[in-house]
Amino acid sequence: MAKFVPPSLTFGAKIRIGLLVFVLILPFLPFMTDYLLHIAILIFLYMILALGLNIVPGFNGLLDLGYVGFYGIGAYTSGLLTYHFGLSYWVIIPLAFINGAIWGILLGAPTLRLTGDYFAIVTFGFSELVVLFLTNEIWLTRGPLGLPGIDVVSIDLTLFGGPKWEFVGELPYYYLAIVMVLATVFVMYRIQDSRLGRAWFAIRDDEVAAVSCGIKLLAYKVIAFAISAAFGAVGGSFFARWMTFLSPDMFKFWESFLILCMIVLGGMGNIWGVMIGAVILVSLSEILREVLPLLGLPVEGRFLAFGLIMVLMMRYRPAGMMPIAAVAAQMRAGRMKRRKTKPAAGIKK
Amino acid sequence: MTPILEIKKLYKSFGGLEALKDITFNIGRGEIIGLIGPNGAGKTTLFNCVAGIEKPTGGQIIFTNGGRTISMGGKKPEAVTALGIARTFQNIRLFDNLTVIDNVKIGRHCRTKSTFFGAVIRHRFQQAEEKMIAESANQFLEFVGLKGRGQEIASSMPYGDQRRLEIARALATEPHLLMLDEPAAGMNPQESRDLMDLIRRIRDKGLTVLLIEHDMKVVMGVCERVVVINHGEWLAEGLPQDVQNNPKVIEAYLGTGAADAA
Repeated sequence: MAKFVPPSLTFGAKIRIGLLVFVLILPFLPFMTDYLLHIAILIFLYMILALGLNIVPGFNGLLDLGYVGFYGIGAYTSGLLTYHFGLSYWVIIPLAFINGAIWGILLGAPTLRLTGDYFAIVTFGFSELVVLFLTNEIWLTRGPLGLPGIDVVSIDLTLFGGPKWEFVGELPYYYLAIVMVLATVFVMYRIQDSRLGRAWFAIRDDEVAAVSCGIKLLAYKVIAFAISAAFGAVGGSFFARWMTFLSPDMFKFWESFLILCMIVLGGMGNIWGVMIGAVILVSLSEILREVLPLLGLPVEGRFLAFGLIMVLMMRYRPAGMMPIAAVAAQMRAGRMKRRKTKPAAGIKK
Repeated sequence: MTPILEIKKLYKSFGGLEALKDITFNIGRGEIIGLIGPNGAGKTTLFNCVAGIEKPTGGQIIFTNGGRTISMGGKKPEAVTALGIARTFQNIRLFDNLTVIDNVKIGRHCRTKSTFFGAVIRHRFQQAEEKMIAESANQFLEFVGLKGRGQEIASSMPYGDQRRLEIARALATEPHLLMLDEPAAGMNPQESRDLMDLIRRIRDKGLTVLLIEHDMKVVMGVCERVVVINHGEWLAEGLPQDVQNNPKVIEAYLGTGAADAA
């Protein structure tokens, strides 16, 4: 869709190429430390997650509070398959994608008939369920002990008489993450400009009109939910092989909230906005992690800061930093509805 | 010739309110038929029953097309569209934030197939289909007189153009029966005349048109037959001139006594 491309295409292309070059040479700049590189990978990981989540609230206009459940499923899929069967990461990516999509369908098919807030509550419940499962099914996940000793990613060419190269340190993961972000962005752009994407935008704008154009609401919402979940799971599969350790408390509700904040902050439905949201919130989170103890405050206080940011955004820029027309209009309509104090019937989230 | 749509003893009630009571009439193939009645007579409810948005409480709606006879009562709206019945809405329901061309492209949805893998891989079939979607969307825009305006945002267009865009989107679903809910509402006389011309051209393409309309100039000008309903009941049916002079119809519109005065 034309409106997502920066105004002058040549200018936009320059910026994109410039950014890519910058990101590619970043690790070799003098000020880079392993810690900063780690944060950069974290940013890329959250970009994948935020882009995946964006499909549901951004493209379809449905609130999803349980995204981290799929992230956890993907992470444990990857972790367990590596731990027990020693599968290669390159095999695990598609498996995690499929497993995420299956769980997305299983959750979405019965619940996507619900509208607005009710659907959000169900997704929230699901993510809690995933954490409880991971904590209590000790025979499978080792529960709160966590799953240590997951193999690192490696490129194994011994089968063809080549070398085996294991990903040691942050640098290879940094480039792997870049490739994964690029692939995700590529898929998102292609979906946006396709029959599938248009059907989603139609659902976001007006469900009744969408139906009268022959769009099967439930089916397309389930597809959206499944693809979103699949990207969450792929993000999780990367996380598992990068951290080489998993524990259930990594997938608490706060993660969902954080990813949702990225989308709202950057601009729901806008691919660039969502990525910028990830950059800002991950960086801010790390800065606060350092600063808050110095001020004698608990580290968890950073969620208060995120909450404050959300309140300020809702007050001053409800459609995000890089708003798209659809979301901005919805926010305006919502405000007008409240001003007229009409009953809240037929809220379209 | 079998009628394209038969409505037989249709009932619809909302709780205690009987919105439609024992409505029966037929729509012949290739007809332009008007559905009129005072406000609250149940015209839009009847539309919604045919379109599958409301489920009738009783009676039958039978759609005949290409030798197939299908009972429509309680079918889902997307299935109704796929069968070949398209509609517009009383309060325009466009995809406001999308471009004009995307609105029409979405209308092509039920006649196309590509999905996720097509979108990502863009194989040859998907590319050909996208090209076809774009071409036919442009043709429909041209047909309703919005050629070259595909890149505008739908909600930024003037009211009359939005009405025509909605018709283009409905046409893009390739219907056999097109149902227009007050298409002339809010239009100036010139726009109304263009609309009447458009409706005739739609019929000339082989479609059947059913329209709800309050603007009597439009009804008299374009409809070949008129069905009148009042308080959810069938009141009269016939040629526009006959219906116009029917005392019962005048009474329904203007109240008791008016018929005597006339």
